[in-house]
Formats: sequence, C-alpha cells, structure tokens
Amino acid sequence: MAAAARPLVTVQALESDMATDGASLPLPEVMKASIRPDIVNFVHSNISKNSRQPYAVSRQAGHQTSAESWGTGRAVSRIPRVSGGGTHRAGQGAFGNMCRGGRMFAPTRIWRRWHRKINVNQKRYAVVSAIAASCVPSLVMARGHRIESVPELPLVVSDSAEGVEKTQNAIKVLKQIGAYPDAEKAKDSLGIRPGKGKMRNRRYIARKGPLIVYGTEGAKLVKAFRNIPGVEIANVERLNLLKLAPGGHLGRFIIWTKSAFEKLDSIYGSFDKTSEKKRGYVLPRAKMANADLARIINSDEVQSVVKPIKKEVKRAPMKKNPLKNLNTMLRLNPYAKTAKRMAVLAEEQRKKAKKEKLDKKRQPITKEEAAKIKSASKSWYKTMISDSDYAEFDVFTKWLGVSQ
Amino acid sequence: MTTVPGQLIWEIVKRNNSFLVKEFGNGNQSVQFSKEPNNLYNLNSYKHSGLANKKTITIQPAGKDQSILLATSKTKQQAKPASLLHKSIMKKEFNRMAKAVVNQVAVNYYRPDLKKAALARLSAVSKSLKVSKSGVKKKNRQASRIYGRK
Repeated sequence: MAAAARPLVTVQALESDMATDGASLPLPEVMKASIRPDIVNFVHSNISKNSRQPYAVSRQAGHQTSAESWGTGRAVSRIPRVSGGGTHRAGQGAFGNMCRGGRMFAPTRIWRRWHRKINVNQKRYAVVSAIAASCVPSLVMARGHRIESVPELPLVVSDSAEGVEKTQNAIKVLKQIGAYPDAEKAKDSLGIRPGKGKMRNRRYIARKGPLIVYGTEGAKLVKAFRNIPGVEIANVERLNLLKLAPGGHLGRFIIWTKSAFEKLDSIYGSFDKTSEKKRGYVLPRAKMANADLARIINSDEVQSVVKPIKKEVKRAPMKKNPLKNLNTMLRLNPYAKTAKRMAVLAEEQRKKAKKEKLDKKRQPITKEEAAKIKSASKSWYKTMISDSDYAEFDVFTKWLGVSQ
Repeated sequence: MTTVPGQLIWEIVKRNNSFLVKEFGNGNQSVQFSKEPNNLYNLNSYKHSGLANKKTITIQPAGKDQSILLATSKTKQQAKPASLLHKSIMKKEFNRMAKAVVNQVAVNYYRPDLKKAALARLSAVSKSLKVSKSGVKKKNRQASRIYGRK
C-alpha cells in the first residue's frame, strides 16, 4: 500500500483565529509507521532505567567490629563473636548475614549497572511507533484518555495556540478543542500514593492528560499550559518516549500545533526519503504493507483463486460387519451371493436326501424284504464257514498249526 | 488517518487496556470483561470489542427515564472521535424498540453477527430502567409470625 494519497488532517481553528479556511495538512509519513508495542515496551523499560540514582548499603556496614570466632570446644556455634567485655554486645555473633547486626548477604553496591544503552535506531523506531499509535483513536482510548469529544485524531491546532500566555486562556483552548475532559480526568485523579513512596518524595500520583507538542522554540504556550494538572508539553524536535508512551503503553493523547505537525516530515523523513534532521534515517518498514487481513482475504485477487467453500461436511460412514451384514459383504465380494445360494441349495438337497433315507429306514421292512435279508445272511454265513475251511496256506502252515 | 486494521488493534489491545476487567475468582477468572461503551456483551473479545472494530453498536440508557440510546459507529469517519457515532434516542415500547434495533443491526447488514447480542442488551437495559423507575424490590426480611402455632 504505497501511500500515494495522504489523507488530510484539518487544523482546528481557535476562537481568536481569523476566519480563514482552517487549512488542511497532509498526514506526515511518521503516522503511518508500523506500531510495535513490543519495541516500545522494551525501549521504554530500558530508557526509564537511565534516570535512576544508585542506592547501596554502606560499605562498612556490619564489618565495624573486630570479631573473632571462639573456635570449637566452647559449646557455642562457630560464628565470629565480638571480642571484649562489659557490654551486651560482647560475645554476640557478628559478620554473618544471619547475625543480628551483621552485614547483609550480597551487600548492594553502587557500581551495579544502573543505566542501559539502547541502539539509536531502536530508540527512533520506538518514538516513531508511539507517534503512529497516537493517531489511532482506539489505541488512545484503550490507554484511557477521554477523547469522546475530540473532533479529530491526530489533533492539530492552529499556531495561535503557541502564543497563549495565560493559563486561563490555555484552559479555554483545551475546552474548545474537546481536550478538556482528558485534562479534567487527570485533575480529578490526584491522590496520595499507596505505599512507602509517600515518604520518599513521591507523595502524589495522578493520571496523565494530553501531551501538547509545539513547533517553534520558546513558544509562550509552554508557560501557559504547564501548570494545568496532567498536561505536558514537548517540542517536536525533542520528543521523549517516556512521554509518548507512558508506562510503555502506546497511545498517548497528543495535541499538535500546526508548525509542529509540519515539522514532523522533515524530522523523521518518510519511508523512501531520508530525514533532514537525523542523518541517513529512514522510517522503518512494516513486515506487511497491508495488514488488513479481512480485506485481503475477501479481495478479488484472493477469492478468484481460492477453491469454493465446502458446505457439506463429509462424515465417515459407520463400519458394518460384512460377516453379519449381507450388503457390505456383497460390496466386498460379489461372488458371495452365488456361493451362498449354492450353499443353500446344496443344504436343501442334503436335507431332502437325509429325510428320505431316514424315512425309508423308519418304515417297517416288508415281509419279502425281511425274508431276503435273512436268506442273504444265511448264505453269507455258509460261505464264511466254507472259506474258513481252507487249509492250504503256503506260508502260514507252521503258524496256524493246522492239522492236515 | 490510515486505517490501522482492526486485527492489528486487537492484538495490541487484547492483553491490556484501560477498560479491561479481570474478575478474580474461581469461576470468574476465565472471563475477561471490558468496560468500553461500544461493547454489547461487555466481553473482552475481538468480535464484541468496541475498540478493534470499525462498525460497532452501543445500547445504553440515555439520561431521561426509560429512553435508550442506540448508537452505531460510522465507518468513514474513523479518525474523528467526536463525530464517530450515529446516535438516536428511543423511547418507545419494547417491541418497537426491538424492531428498530434489529433493523439497524441485521436487516441492513451492518453487523448481522451482533443481532442476538444487541437484542439481549436491549432487554437488559430496558429492564434495568424499569426497575430503577419503580424502585428495587424490597425483600420482606421480617419473619412473618404464624398464628395459631404455639
């Protein structure tokens, strides 16, 4: 999405302005930079470490004794004990972190690394991101500023605001441009800090109100606006991340004056053009030029190539057992049908034959048959006997003991 | 202002914003609420969020008795918070109001996925207005004495 057409931002005219056309200014490229809460958070946490003052415990704490261990054999533990006599202190343990009046474990030292160095480019990325985020109403609202009555974001005010000298007029200006509810919120939120910070010169806390960014050096508005609770002022040339993203959270409500707004382009440059004030600096590029996923997905280019939606959900059919379910068996093995049929027919045949046989058997035998059977068995018996008279065995004579 | 797409805003806002309410408790903690005005269910989720969507709907009690404010956000003027919302105050009987809400939300394809939510909120709001008008029900805490039973 090459920003060919830059949207216009109207400049809010204040009462005292001449009734000229409240001019419109094109949006500076900075406000299109990628919004990176992760970078801002990182840089913010590191930058805020830079104004820390060292704290440490005294170097001699716990060591200002000439204690010596009593060694073994005295029925006491071996920690060094204070020498001498005549006071409570004599014989008490010393030097250890577990001892009363001893030094702490790992005494804090002043040469702890208090400050952090952050790469210049990272710092600039964070500032640029924070400026871009301040143009998105959702983000500013999410940070908690009351911007329901603000006519437009980013809010640009004509340069007559820079000439405001009295705080009274400053408040009037805020009211005209709809920024007053935010300042009011800050004023109402003034309260006493919970915790020990109270006694450490951090007694009061309040919400942050709008940040006013002006363009010309030595503008009078600094003095006029600075006493309003919650309101902060900054010069465009020197924007501070700690003010642009307080707490590391993006989306401070910023009020720009016209000259400040115009200067932004020359200070930060654009995505192609290097900035004039920061040598060789170009605005960071985003990973995705167009991050609007919904639009991309629904665009013609994508939709024309995409397969149609499958509306019917194909569900797996239930598995049926072929051994029990004839149709599934037939699907797998069509011959099964004929095989089965043959089997059935064969079975019937068998049954029939058996039945006949049995019937026949169960019928009482007729007299002729019975006579036949009897005579047949008699003759068989006769032949059996005559056969057994056979005595001319060649091989088995000895065996059989046949008497000739 | 260039449209920063809703999904980007959502990624930034979902974990931490000034309207987020995380209730503490066994059953509650899994639900995250959100106090923005344009959130119909007051739930912290992309669909319902008033911050991350271009088209949002809001139903709130308006100042006077019984009137309800229905507001939808204009898609074109995203950068002008003062003139962002189409406001209209409704003071009709419930069925008429429900019809009006459905018309605004679903029938003209504004945000048909929010139809149920809008109606639900409408009934909740109008009920609360009725209650506030007639006073909260006073529960009779005094134990009643049963006569004849000694």
